[in-house]
Amino acid sequence: MAVIEVTGLAKRYADLTVLDKVSFSVEEGEIFGILGPNGAGKTTTVECVEGLRQADSGSIRVLGLDPIKDGRALREQIGVQLQHTQLPENIKVWEALDLYASFYAAPRDWRELVEQWGLADKRDARFGKLSGGQKQRLFIALALIGNPRVAFLDELTTGLDPQARRATWELIKQVRASGVTVVLVSHFMDEVEELCDRVAVFDRGGIVAIDTPRGLIEGIDAEHQMRFTLMAAADPEALLADLPGVSGVVRDGDRVVVTGRGDFATAVTARLARHHVLVSDLRIDKRTLDDAFLALTGRSFN
Amino acid sequence: MTALAKLTAVELKLLVREPGSMFTVLIPLFILVVFGSSIEPGDTMLLPMALAIAVGLVGLYMLPTTLATYRERGILRRLSTTPLRPVNMLVVQLLMQLVLAVAACGLLLVVAGTVLGARLPGAGWAVVATLLLGTAAMFSIGLLIASLAANGRTANGVGVLLYFPMAFLAGLMQPANQMPALLARIGEYTPLGAFRQSLQDVWAGGSPSVVLLGVMAAYAVVLSAAAARFFRWE
Repeated sequence: MAVIEVTGLAKRYADLTVLDKVSFSVEEGEIFGILGPNGAGKTTTVECVEGLRQADSGSIRVLGLDPIKDGRALREQIGVQLQHTQLPENIKVWEALDLYASFYAAPRDWRELVEQWGLADKRDARFGKLSGGQKQRLFIALALIGNPRVAFLDELTTGLDPQARRATWELIKQVRASGVTVVLVSHFMDEVEELCDRVAVFDRGGIVAIDTPRGLIEGIDAEHQMRFTLMAAADPEALLADLPGVSGVVRDGDRVVVTGRGDFATAVTARLARHHVLVSDLRIDKRTLDDAFLALTGRSFN
Repeated sequence: MTALAKLTAVELKLLVREPGSMFTVLIPLFILVVFGSSIEPGDTMLLPMALAIAVGLVGLYMLPTTLATYRERGILRRLSTTPLRPVNMLVVQLLMQLVLAVAACGLLLVVAGTVLGARLPGAGWAVVATLLLGTAAMFSIGLLIASLAANGRTANGVGVLLYFPMAFLAGLMQPANQMPALLARIGEYTPLGAFRQSLQDVWAGGSPSVVLLGVMAAYAVVLSAAAARFFRWE
């Protein structure tokens, strides 16, 4: 069942088109990624879905509700972590959670959340005294305090160190495991690749592709390379040049670089094995979402 | 506990933890005590001045700074994603600033009445009406600053910048009868000046001028309407 259905969303500010013909749906229980460079329309899209902004045209249904008309009922069932929001400097961790819990009809117990999000020893600390990672964990806990069916997390790990990012990713997987649908807005490729079941790639106010991260990467029809070192004399040019997908073989001493498209690497290794050519240092350039983005939009992500 | 009661309780705690609240209460008290040593028993001048200073500080300094900071930090925006309507936060904040003004004035009245032996008028309609309208006028200025200022720091700066000329014109830096006649006349029609003059009229045992009460009411209505017109949630 789709918990979010967006059809033909459009939004303009003065003569600037921010969103145009944005359509996607999010299935129950998945982590759905909204990926794109800054200014691609990610946050505007999510804010329309949350009911914070009104779209100029198009239809949005979240849990069967209209985010503007049924806003009150919808806000009972969603949790939101916004980019660039803070709490009052002097509010204590437990006070913030206890306060936000009181806004919802059936909230979660904040004591459980402080345990789960590693804030138990900070429950009496003031917001202003928390580290960046602790603040971020508190925001996620606040997004979950209302026991939501859908959680929206916007730029979850911006400003966190690599270790804190990894730890946050593990916790987000737990959120999905508990049955909450997660919409993750991010401009980090690695984060989306690691966490998301499906991704909508945004560019200049529109969606250029929706697929699994793997599907996006495999869908790239761009040249990439594999490299290896010959362990004994052989003639790789003659051996490999006619393989499907291979577009070039360059040899420099015992170092060989093969260029091609699609899944040519499997064919290359199979033929080398059949001819008993032993190689070492075999490396295939790993293709990432960055490459997928480049292939989809014709420009590099950053 | 309902959401509104809990919000009030938390905001009250935050108000107490905010160092600015302490200054707002202590500055007028300090002025009262320092100058209080030289007043005659039954004085009707000093306490009205201290009260006007206290309410002015809350309205021009605390109120706009707090509200603009809340908006700047995205607190109002974050609230609008919950079932609680963010207008509740504005109402609770106004209530908190009112609590602060009442606390500051209460402390001044107690200290002036007991230790300093200044005159205290009975709690007639005139006292209540003057305090209410004066507070409304001061708060409406604060609301307008909060609506127009981009962030907490700007709101704070504008509040402080407005406070000094207003306090001067209101006769809070030197008695109005020692000011040039024209300035004193203009000063009477400023919000803080009308407030100070009305308080002094009441303290002296008379009735407040209906014109001055009207001036304060007009400021409150017009400035609040402008604040509502220009207010942005984000």
